[in-house]
Amino acid sequence: MKQGIILFILLFLLSLPGQAFAESELELRVRTLEETLKKQEETIKAQQIMINELKEQIKKDEVAIIPESKENPQEIKKETKATGLFGASAMSNPNISLILNTYAYSSNLTTDELKNRGISGYTTEGLDRRNGFNLDSAELAFYAPVDPYFNLYVTIPVSEDGATIEEAYFVTTSLPKGHQIKAGKFKSGFGRLNSQHSHVWDFVDNPLPYRAFISSDDSGIDEKGIQYTYLTPLPFYTILGVEILQGENKTLFGSDAAGGAHAYTAFAKASLDVSDNATILFGPSVITGKTKTDTVAANTDFTGDTTLYGLEFTYKWKPTKYQGFKLQSEYLYRTQFGNLTDLNPGGIVQRLDRNQDGLYIQGVYLWNRWEFGARYDTLGLFKNDYILAGAKQDQGRMPWRVTGMVDYTFSEFSLLRLQYNHDESDVTGKPNDELFLQFIFTIGAHPAHQF
Amino acid sequence: MKKILITFLIMFTFSTPAFAKVNIVATLPWIGSLASDIGKDKVAIKVLVKPSQDPHQIEAKPSMILAAGKADILIYNGLDLEIGYLPLLIESSRNPKIQPGQAGNLDCSQFIKVIEKHEAVDRSMGDVHPLGNPHYHLSAQNILSVARGMTHALSTLDPEQAAFYKTNLTAFEAKLKEKQKQWAGISLKGKRFVAYHRFFEYLAQEYGFQIVGYVEEKPGIPPSAGYIEKLVEDMKRSKPDGIITTTYYGKDEIDALSQKTGIKSIVIPHDVGSAPGVTDWFSLMDTVLKSLQSQ
Repeated sequence: MKQGIILFILLFLLSLPGQAFAESELELRVRTLEETLKKQEETIKAQQIMINELKEQIKKDEVAIIPESKENPQEIKKETKATGLFGASAMSNPNISLILNTYAYSSNLTTDELKNRGISGYTTEGLDRRNGFNLDSAELAFYAPVDPYFNLYVTIPVSEDGATIEEAYFVTTSLPKGHQIKAGKFKSGFGRLNSQHSHVWDFVDNPLPYRAFISSDDSGIDEKGIQYTYLTPLPFYTILGVEILQGENKTLFGSDAAGGAHAYTAFAKASLDVSDNATILFGPSVITGKTKTDTVAANTDFTGDTTLYGLEFTYKWKPTKYQGFKLQSEYLYRTQFGNLTDLNPGGIVQRLDRNQDGLYIQGVYLWNRWEFGARYDTLGLFKNDYILAGAKQDQGRMPWRVTGMVDYTFSEFSLLRLQYNHDESDVTGKPNDELFLQFIFTIGAHPAHQF
Repeated sequence: MKKILITFLIMFTFSTPAFAKVNIVATLPWIGSLASDIGKDKVAIKVLVKPSQDPHQIEAKPSMILAAGKADILIYNGLDLEIGYLPLLIESSRNPKIQPGQAGNLDCSQFIKVIEKHEAVDRSMGDVHPLGNPHYHLSAQNILSVARGMTHALSTLDPEQAAFYKTNLTAFEAKLKEKQKQWAGISLKGKRFVAYHRFFEYLAQEYGFQIVGYVEEKPGIPPSAGYIEKLVEDMKRSKPDGIITTTYYGKDEIDALSQKTGIKSIVIPHDVGSAPGVTDWFSLMDTVLKSLQSQ
C-alpha cells in the first residue's frame, strides 16, 4: 500500500515539469492562433464584400432575364419543394410497388390431371393450377434513374416457392436520338403479350399459341441478354429491335441448350392513329436458337434448332375514360428440326421436323368500370406438320379453346376478374372447363399506363 | 444506286430548313396555348392530350412517343398529374434532350405556389396527389409565373430568339393586366359552390369564393349512393350557388344532383379547346369566370 502511494507521488512529481513546459508552449500556440484568426476575419470581410457585389449583379441579371417583373422579381425563383416526375417518393428511395396477383380456381379436372395436361404434338408441359385457392405471386418492382445515363428496373415476384428475379435491367437514356440499349434480364420485345407483365393482360392466363410455343406459365421469353432498339425518324411510329439472348426459355430452347448465348430475336413495330381516339399497332417478330429439351414428347430428349415467327395486331379505341374497345391478335409459326432421342431402354434416335402454327384473337369492351372480354385461340390452324423420321404423324383434330371474361376495376389500383375457359386443347383427353376468380392489387408507386 | 444516293442527299438537305423552329411538345392544351403566345411563329407545337380527354387517364400511345422523340423541349404540368404516362413516354422517346435534368425538360409547376400539399397520404383517401393540387392553371398569378418561366426556358434553348420571346412575354403580360382589370369587375366573393373534382381550388383562392363540398367522395373514385344521399341533404340545407364540373366528366352526376336539389349545375371548360370559343388561355378564363358569375 505504502509503496503504491510513493509510486503515485513520484509519478505526479514527474508529470509536473512536463505540464509547465506545455503551458509555455500553449501560450505560443494561442498567440499564433489569434493571429491566424485575425487574418481570416479580414479575408471573410473581403469575401463578404465580394459576395454582396455578386448578389447585386445576380439581381440585375434576373431583372434582365425577366422583363416586367419589377412588381415581384422573385417570381421566377423555383419554389423550394419536390416537384418533377418522380416526386412522390423521396429522392433517396427508388419507386417501389408491390403487385399481388391471386385467384380462386375451379375445374372439372383434378389437380393431378391438370399437371399432366400437355398439348399432344406440341408440349408435354402441364398446367400449374390447383382447384381452390392459388397465389400467383406478390411482385415487388423497383424503378429509379441511376444517373443521367441509365434507368434501372428490377422486378422480383415472390411466390410460395420463393423469390425469383423476373427482370433486372437498365435502359439507356442519353444515347443519340432514336437509339436505346437495354441489358440485364428482361422480357423480350418479341410479340405483344410477351413484353407485358401478366398482371396487365386482359385475361388471367396466356393463350394457346403462347402455351405451346413459348411457355406453359405466364413467364414468356424472359431472358438474360442485351437489346438494341431504334425509333426511326419516319412520319409514323416505327421501332426496330434486335436482341442477343442466353436462350434458357424451357419450352423454346431448354435450360441448357448450348454453352453460350445462342438465341437471337429481331422485331419491328409500327403504329398509326386512325382517328383521335383510335390507334393500331402491328408488326412482325422472330426468335431463333438452339434447342435441347425434354418437353416434345414423354420420355424423349430433343436436340436441334428452333425458329418462332410472330405477327401481332392491336386496335384500341378509347374515346373516354368510361368507354373503349380493344381488339388484339397474334399469329405464331414455329419451325423446329433436330434429333428426337427415345429415353426408354433400347430407344432410338429419329429425325424430327415440326412446322406448326397458332393464333389467338381477343376483344375487350370497356363500359364504365366494367370490362367484358372474349377470346378464341387455336393451334394448327394452317399448318400442323409433325414429321418423325420422314413420316408425317397424324395429329388428330385441331386443339382450340374459347374464353369469356368480365372484370371490375374498383380503382386504378385494384381489379376483380371472373373468367371461364372451355379448353379442347388436349385432343386425346377430356375438355377442361375452368373458372377463375382473380384479384390484382397494386400498392406503392403509380403504375405506368402502357398502350 | 448513285441516283438513290443523290435522292437521299437532296431529301436530307431539304428536310433541315435553315431556320429551324423549336419543336415544343406540351402535355396539356393550355400549356400549348401559352407556349404559342410566347413562341409565336418561331416554334412548332404538338399537344399530347386532347381537350376532350381526362388528363389523369392518358396512355403512352405510340404516336405520343413519336412526338416526344422529335421534341426539342417537353413542357408539362407536373405535380404527378402526368405520372401515369410521362416517365414511360420520356424513356421510350429515346430523346436525350428531354430527359429529366436537361434544358428540354420543363416542369411548369416549379414556378407556382402549390396548395393542398399533403404531409401524409395513402390511397384509401382516393387518388390524392401527394405533391399538392395539380390543377393550377385557372389562376392569373400562376399563369404569369409559368409564362415567365417558359420564356426563360425557351430563351435558354434558343438564345438567338431570346429578344423575340421577351417581346412576346411583355405583350402577354400587358394583355393579362388589361384582362385582370376586366375580371376585377366580376365578383365571386362569398359565393359557395359544390364541385365534382378538386379542380377549382386555385381559382377559388384568387376570387374569394368557396368550394363547400365535392361530388366525388374521394378524388378519382365515383361516389357511392349513400354519400350522394347525404350530399343532397347537406345541399338542401346549405343552398350553395351552384354545382360545378369540367367538360370531360361528372356532367351526368351533377345534372342528377341538380334535379334532386334544385341547385343549378354548371359545366365549366377545363382547358383550352374544350368548349366553342375557348381558343386560348384568356378566352378560357373569360368563359370560366362568366359561367361562375352568372349564378
